[in-house]
Order: sequence, then C-alpha cells, then structure tokens
Amino acid sequence: MTTSSSTGLTAPGRATRRRLGRGADPLVGKCLIALGSAAALGSTFLSWTWTTAFPGDLTVTGYPGGNQLITLFLSILTLLALGPALLPGGVPGTRWIAPRGSVRLLRSLSLANAASTGYVVVAIAWELGGVANYVAGTWIAGASVLLPVLGAWLLPEDDHEPAPARPTPRWAQIVVVFVVVMLGLLVTDFGVTTGFSEEFIGFCLGAGFAGRGLAASGLFDRFSALTAANRVATGWAVFAAAVSFVFLQSSDAYTSVADNILIFATVALGLNIVVGLAGLLDLGYVAFLGVGAYTAALVSGTAASRYAHVVLPFWAQALIGVAVSVLAGLLIGAPTLRLRGDYLAIVTLGFGEIFRITMNNLDGQSGPQVTNGAEGEYGIPDLRLFGYDFGRPHTVLGHTLGRFGNYYLLLVLVIALVIFIFARVNDSRIGRAWAAIREDETAAEAMGVHGYRFKLLAFGLGAGLAGLAGTIQGHLTSTVTPDQYTFSSSAPPNSAFLLAAVVLGGMGTISGPLLGASLLFLIPDKLQFFHNKQLLLFGIALIVMMRLRPEGLVPDKRRRLEFHERETAAEEAYEELVVDELDRSDGLDELEAEARA
Amino acid sequence: MSVTVLLQLVENGLVLGAMYGLIAVGYTMVYGTIQLINFAHGEIFMLGGFGALTVYAWIPGVAHLPLFAALPLMLLGGVVVAVAAAVGAERLAYRPLRTAPRLAPLITAIGLSLALQQVVSLWYRLPGGGNAKAPVAFPSFGGKAFDLGGVLVQRADLFTVIAAAVCMAGLAWFVARTRSGRAMQATAQDPDTARLMGIDPDRMIVVAFAVGAALAAVAALTQGLRYGQISFDMGFVAGLKAFTAAVLGGIGNVRGAMLGGIVLGLAEELSSGILAHFRDTAQYGQAWADVWAFVLLILVLLLRPQGLLGERVADRA
Amino acid sequence: MTALLNDEALLSVEALLSVEALHVAYGRVEAVKGISMRVLPGQTVALLGANGAGKTTTLRTLSGLLRPTAGTIRFAGQSLERVPAHHIVRAGLAHCPEARRIFPRMTIEENLRLGAFIRGNEDLGPDLRQAYERFPILGERHDQMAGLLSGGEQQMLAIARALMCRPRLLMLDEPSMGLSPIMMQQILRTVAELKDAGTTILLVEQNAQAALALADYAYVLETGRIVVEGTGAELLADERVRVAYLGEG
Repeated sequence: MTTSSSTGLTAPGRATRRRLGRGADPLVGKCLIALGSAAALGSTFLSWTWTTAFPGDLTVTGYPGGNQLITLFLSILTLLALGPALLPGGVPGTRWIAPRGSVRLLRSLSLANAASTGYVVVAIAWELGGVANYVAGTWIAGASVLLPVLGAWLLPEDDHEPAPARPTPRWAQIVVVFVVVMLGLLVTDFGVTTGFSEEFIGFCLGAGFAGRGLAASGLFDRFSALTAANRVATGWAVFAAAVSFVFLQSSDAYTSVADNILIFATVALGLNIVVGLAGLLDLGYVAFLGVGAYTAALVSGTAASRYAHVVLPFWAQALIGVAVSVLAGLLIGAPTLRLRGDYLAIVTLGFGEIFRITMNNLDGQSGPQVTNGAEGEYGIPDLRLFGYDFGRPHTVLGHTLGRFGNYYLLLVLVIALVIFIFARVNDSRIGRAWAAIREDETAAEAMGVHGYRFKLLAFGLGAGLAGLAGTIQGHLTSTVTPDQYTFSSSAPPNSAFLLAAVVLGGMGTISGPLLGASLLFLIPDKLQFFHNKQLLLFGIALIVMMRLRPEGLVPDKRRRLEFHERETAAEEAYEELVVDELDRSDGLDELEAEARA
Repeated sequence: MSVTVLLQLVENGLVLGAMYGLIAVGYTMVYGTIQLINFAHGEIFMLGGFGALTVYAWIPGVAHLPLFAALPLMLLGGVVVAVAAAVGAERLAYRPLRTAPRLAPLITAIGLSLALQQVVSLWYRLPGGGNAKAPVAFPSFGGKAFDLGGVLVQRADLFTVIAAAVCMAGLAWFVARTRSGRAMQATAQDPDTARLMGIDPDRMIVVAFAVGAALAAVAALTQGLRYGQISFDMGFVAGLKAFTAAVLGGIGNVRGAMLGGIVLGLAEELSSGILAHFRDTAQYGQAWADVWAFVLLILVLLLRPQGLLGERVADRA
Repeated sequence: MTALLNDEALLSVEALLSVEALHVAYGRVEAVKGISMRVLPGQTVALLGANGAGKTTTLRTLSGLLRPTAGTIRFAGQSLERVPAHHIVRAGLAHCPEARRIFPRMTIEENLRLGAFIRGNEDLGPDLRQAYERFPILGERHDQMAGLLSGGEQQMLAIARALMCRPRLLMLDEPSMGLSPIMMQQILRTVAELKDAGTTILLVEQNAQAALALADYAYVLETGRIVVEGTGAELLADERVRVAYLGEG
C-alpha cells in the first residue's frame, strides 16, 4: 500500500488538514490495530464483571459468553482485515478481503468493535450501578477496543478502483457462495437467537458498522458479482441455509420468532410486487393477509366458524384462501386502477378499514354470524399435510422438530415460492411492463403497454400471495381476530409496518424487504424496554429514512438512479429540456448526440 | 319511517358533513398546491383538539368561564397548535423532499402521522395527572337541544354549522378576493409562472398548510363539543373520511371539499339511519356506517372519477 | 430614443442587462455554452435560432427559473445569478413565458392583478385601464376565465400581464408561436408599439424576418453558442443569416 510521503511542502486547505495527525508512520497505526484487537480478543476469555446480574453471564474466565462472543468475532475479523495492509502488497492469500482497499474496512471494523464492546462496558456500569462492577477484564476490553479506532484513523486513505477479479473455476465460485451464505446464516442465527436486549444491541451495532465496512471495501460488490454469475447455486445455497436454521435450534423458542419473521417477510415481498415493481401504493395490504387467514380458518373445522362442519384438507383451504384473496384484490383494483395513483392509496386504505369492520360485524348481532366478531376464530386446528401433523413434534435427521419448526419449514417453502415468482416475473415481459408503467404510464401506453391490465395483474398477484401467507398464518397463530389486520399497531404485520419493511429495506428488491421485515420484527421484539415507544420510533424512523436514504437499505440498481443521484437530475432536466425547447422533432437528435457525448 | 326521523337524519348528516368538510379543505388545499396526500392532516386535526383542551384545562380560570366565552380562547389555542404543527411539518419533513419521488413524502407523512399520535398518547398530561392514552373528556354545552318540530338540534350542532359556514365564507373571501389568495391559486395552477409574477411558492405552500390546519382545528373543536371527548387516535378515521370527502368533491377544489363532506355526512347518516330503522335491516345500521361511506367513495370514483366539482386533470405522477 | 445608435454611443451607454460567459446545464447536458450579450436601455434586442439552440433556456435563466452553472448576469447594476425568480421580478425584469402560460382558471382581471403582484396593495386602476385600452378585447371580457380566450387573446393577456409590474426590461418568449398569420401580425404590431413607447425588450422569435425588422440588435444562437450578432439591419443583409435562418438562397 502507498503512503503519502511528507515532502515538507504544505498544500493549502483540505490537503493540509488531511495530513494533520497523519504524519505518524502508518506502521504505528497498524501496530495499534493489531495490539488492540489481540488484547480485545484475549479479554473475551476473561470475566468482565463479578456478578451474574448482567445478562449473558460475563463472569466466566476461560471461555467467552454473551456479548463477549461478538467482541471475539469482531476482533478476529479486524485482525483478518489487517492482512492486506501488512506486507507491501498484503499478506498473500488475504488480498481478496479488501478489493477496494482495506483502510476503510479497518476503520469500520474497529468502530464496530468499539461501539459494540464499548456499549457493553458502559451498560455494565449503567445497569449494575457504577464502575465498581468492573474487573480487570472489563478495563482491558474497554481500553483495547479503542486502540484500533485510533490506529485505523492514523492510516492514510487507500480507496481505489478494485482490480478485476481473477477468473476462478465455477465449482470454486459455488463453494465460495455456499460458504459465505452459511456464514451469513450463522450471523443471522446469532441475531435472531439473542436472548436479551444488551446482546441484541451489541449485535446490531457490530453488524451495522461491519456491514458498512464490507460494503466500503468492495467485498460485497465482489460477492454480488459472484451471486449474479451463479444465481441458481445462490438460490439453493440460501434455501439450504434457511432450512438448516431450524436444525441449529435446540428448542422452539426462537423458531416461533423466525416463523413470524417469515410470515411478515412473505407478505412484505408480496407488497413489494405491488409497490416496488408496479408502483401502486397499497395502504391496506394487510387485509389480503386477513382474507386468506379468515377464509382458511372458516373451512378448517374450527368450532368458532359458522361452517364448523366443513373441514377441508389444507391444500383446498389454501386454494380457496388464495382465490378469495385474488377476488378481493380484483374487486378493489378493477374500479380504482383506472384512476390516478393517489386514489388507489385512499381506496386501499378504506378497504383495509372495511375489512376490519366487516369481520367485526359479522358476529350475529351487527350482521349474520360468520366470523365470530371481535373474538375472532379461535381454536383453529393445526395444519395437516400429506399425513404430517404440524402440531406434533417430529424427528427428522436425528433432530426433533417442534410445532414451530414444522411451520418454519413450510414457511420457508412458501417464501421460496414467492421469491421465485418475484424474480421470474420481474425478469419477464411483465416486469418490464411494470417498470414502464412505474416510470411513466402515459408513455408506456403509447408504447403499447396495456397499463390497466398489467396493474390489475400486479394487484391480483400481490393479493394472492398475501392470501396464501394468510392461510398458513391462521393455523400458526390458531386464532384470527379483526384487530390483527389494521393499518397500524405496535406489532407487525400491519399495513404501515409492511409498507415500511418494503421502503426501509429497498423497493423492488428481494433482499430489501427480507432485511426490512427482519429488523422491523426483531427490534420491537428484542428491545422490550421501549415497548410503548415502538410506534413513535417507527414513525420517526420513516421520516428520517426518507430524508437520508429514500432508496432503502438495499437499493435497487435502477431505483438508485430514480432517487437523489445526479444521473436522475440529468434525466429529468433532459425531459424538461425536451419539453421546453424541442417539442418539434428536429432538435432531438442533436440533443441526444450531446447527451451521449 | 316518519318525516321527522328522516329530517333528524338529515340534520345529523349535515352537521357531520360540515365537520368532514372543514377537515377536507386542508387535504384539498395541500393536494392542490403540491400534489401531496398529507397523510398527517388527521393528526393536525387531533392536535387542534388537544390544543383547545389545553387552553381549557391548563389556563387558570378558563374552565370557570361560561363555555361560549371560553370557546374563542380554546379555538385560538387549537388553531395555534395545529398551525404550528402543520407549518413545522411542512418545513422540516416535506420541504426537503419537494423534488423526491412522490412516494417519499407520502411515507414521510405516514411516519409523521404515527409519531404525532404517539407523542400525544405518551406525553400529554391533564392537570389532575390524567393522560391521553384513553379518550379524554372535552367540555360540552349543557342545556337542552332546540326542538324544531320534533327535529332535535343540539347546541354543538348549531355551533358546528355556524362555524363551518363562517369558515367557508372566510375562506372563499380569502381565496378569491385577497392578494395572497390569488397568489395561492396561481401557485396551484402553474408554480413556475407564479414565480415569474414575483410569488414565492414556498410561502404559498406554507399558507396552504396553515389555512388547512386552522380549519382542521375548528373541526376538532366541534368534534370535541359534540361527542364530549377527544382522543389521540381520532385523526385516523376522521382523516380518512375527510380525504374521502375531498376526493368526492373533486380534489384541489375548496368548495368541492365542503360539498363532498356534506354529501359524505348525509350518505353516512342516511344509509345507516334508514337501515337501522327497519327491523329486517337493523343490524346493518350504525356499525356499518363507515363501510357505506367507502362504498359511496368507490361508486363515485367509478361514475365520476374527477369528483363532484372537479375538473378532469391529467395524471401528473 | 430607439433610433439606431452608432458604435461609440453603444459603448458609452450603461447596459441595462449584460450577460457574460453564461453557461446553463440540465444535469450533464449543457444547453447554453458561454453566451455573452448586452441590452441597452430603450433597445429592442432579438434572440434568434433554431429549436434547441438555447433561447428559452437563456430567458429562463435570466428570470431565475434556472440556475446558471457559470457566468454572470448583471441587471441594472445588480448581480442576478443567485437571486430566486420571485425576487428578480422585483428588480424590474418581466418574463412573458413561452406558450403564454396564463392562469386558465382565473379571470382575465385576476391574471392582470397577479401580474402586478409585486406592487402590493397599490391601486391598479390606471394600469388596468391602460391594459384594456391597449387590448380592448381583454376589457370586454375582463371577468371571464382566461382559459376561454383564443390563443392570440391569451398571448395579449400574457403580454399585458407582464407589463402590469411596470418592468424595466420585458422578455418575450416566442409571442407569435402557434398563432394564425393575422393574429401573428397583430401581436408583432403590439411589440412594435411597445418598442415605440420606449419599452426595453428582449425578444425571442422563430419568425426571424419579423424579429430582425423590429430589433435594434440581434444575436443568433446555435446549439448554445452565439454564432452571429449585429444590428437588425446588418443581419438582415448578412448572407449567412439569410441562408440559414430566413430560408433564402
């Protein structure tokens, strides 16, 4: 790596400021990082406090536990990331870690470790009442995570264009994809199974900063290039990882969390077809989940159902549930999709309310007895598919799957189906038609795209997928009530949270809503201490997010252009210019030639 | 069904509709100027109610005044709070997104709506230490209702209708007769050309938000007086209905908003009232009122998508 | 006053508007690439060129609707590059935009009153009377919606509206566009009358023949650059201009 040699000449302005404090030999910085990370690594084998009152039991000397695991992992990662920076040209075999240069990665990782570990150290004093609860290990950990931060900022910036990836045989690429996906599974598993808020916060701080670093170092880009080149293998790897999650669980405790995330994410993906791909704003989407859930519940043989004597097999319930949902979608969509987009928002919002009120009213008093009103359909029997009873534990491959484990596997299949449909449709003629409608419906119509038909298709498809998720959700929760399907409430899924999962995650993408749904479910679930401020924080998060990163955590490539980037300005201005000055065709060619130049 | 009962339903519908109309004006004015569904307008309405209640409950002596004397003070409090919230929201949340894709401000508005509800629910306090997690009592007129040949007109109803009429007249005068009103219309019709006339569009947008908020505060006061209570989440359904009214009347059209409100109010009261009156359909009455209101919306959109008074406008999305 | 000024006189008079090396870009697309021009008090200056040459972009930049990427604009001793559009009108620069852009859902009189928006609550009676004298049709229909007027009448309204702020410089963007030949003649006659009354005018026109006949000085734009400039008479006589813009040769 190159170092900016101090030539004694003072460059004016920014350059001077940048060099301040950078006079130190980069070797000092690297030593600080190495020493600090090693010390932090070592400290995780010590105890961090003498009392077991702090969650996660940090009193054990000899092996790490609780938050110490995060520190351990981040320290190892930092030491690894130091590899490319150590020898001139990097330690052989480590250069792949940072295609764009390792300094920003080191900064992010050391920050991740400092934030996550520092948070725990502070929390120990805060929750237990003072630094009297610190022991030697706490001091070592707290001090040693600060050194790499200092060290990383002493290193000169080395951001550069990545060298082209070396050609690797296909089997090696596939192996890499599988390994990375499995690593991702382990990280996810750690996050989902965190047992207390401190661990979860430490995890989020660490993962957030580390993720930023990996993005800055170009490693993510390189991995996405790999996945793009091996889409089928990636799909299978992710599927295998998702399935293996349940085999990592020793009990059903966190599988139920995972089940809820999966339902939420499935519906969010369905909504993403409607909002992200077709550009239709649906503010009452959760109602379709409700339609599916109620329909399946009514014909599942629950005693609360008016049709308690009707007990259909699940495949039939699912079919009917989807059919009724699609029907509801078409019923709402048909009249409104011909109109301006804003009207759809209000009509869907109204539909959400109508659904809730109707389910409430069909209780035998305000209407015929169908749904048992506010009490809802309770006692919905467990699913049974091909003789497999989802309510009973089963032993598969030597691992006992509990009730939630059974549902988990089914939900993984369903979300895989939804992802498959999403990807296939998006890449097809239909997806291109949706993109055209989203950008400019009038222009799309002029090109022969039948806007209304495609919008209705998106709306119906979205409704159907939500309905499918609903048919399972009813069995999973064993009770469906009208209040589960509102516009906003403190627990997902509801229409506002669904929309937020799509928008915060990244519209038009697959991983965006998955990430968004996971975060939006886990944060309120894990951080019980602000349980009554969830909706407030959620609202504020929406506002802040729209201001800072309207394209979401995982931006769609095309959409990144649609949002605040310079290219967009040029495109818009180009249109304006065309309207302003070139409404007759002669100047167009000229301008286009210019735009290309 | 007797004529008296029918007239009573009409009276209820008119009063309800007048309130919807007052809120709808805010939606329609903001939409007319910047094509934004200000989803948080329902919460501006709610804040107006709490502003008025704050004056009543917290300023010593106001609660001891006769209600008609306290009303102007409460109204002032409500208007100040609502306008401040709306203008603040415009400045901090919406203005930075003026050039963003249109989904962005809408989502901001949803976030704002949730946040404002929660702020009131979490931190609003009454002098006695009570909070606003549940509906809060609002002062109401004592005394008997006026009896017009069997049709009962509550004092709060009278206040509502008068307030709505005064507000609409004032608004009509403002829009058509004042320099600012004309400038606002100009901004709505053609923002660029309005700038060429020397009009600052940002200022006009603020005016649109402020006027809408003031009228919503009036509506909140009438709501509190009629039902004797207000709640932190009353903005959601009221806002939804008012937006429906704005669309019914033709969005962007101020007179349409009031007309839409009254049509919606009448439709809601008459449909549920008439259904409730007959034994066979009684159960489809009051509990279904909201459903009938939305069914009406969908019907109108089908038959007359531009609304009752709206002009056909191209999709600017 | 509007007689042709000779070169020495040109240099000695303080320009009302002077533009130096003006660049305007839409994103990465540069539409105006370094224009310099001057308008002296009392002059009528024409800006000619084909579609896409950057004429409208120049006017929109002068009136503040667009921001220049580089260059200076001085108007009556004031720098305008960073002044927002609604303040530029107050400096006395009126822009009568392309395609008229009247407010269709307001009456003619309301449109005119909006033209005088910057004058606050002054009595506009005399100005309205003057507008109705100049364009009697507007007076007859003063309380009708402006959207009901014909194209030519709308153009009259747009010009009258721009004059309501008593501008020191009137910028007209293609006032004859899309009008019938008779109406076009009438509008051009109006422009000539304004010029004779001493109004300083910056005129963008497709109809080069007519514009050059009116103009004291003219600039010809091509893809964002000035390619020819000179007095109206000079350009009318210029062989290149005749071939390229007047359809002769």
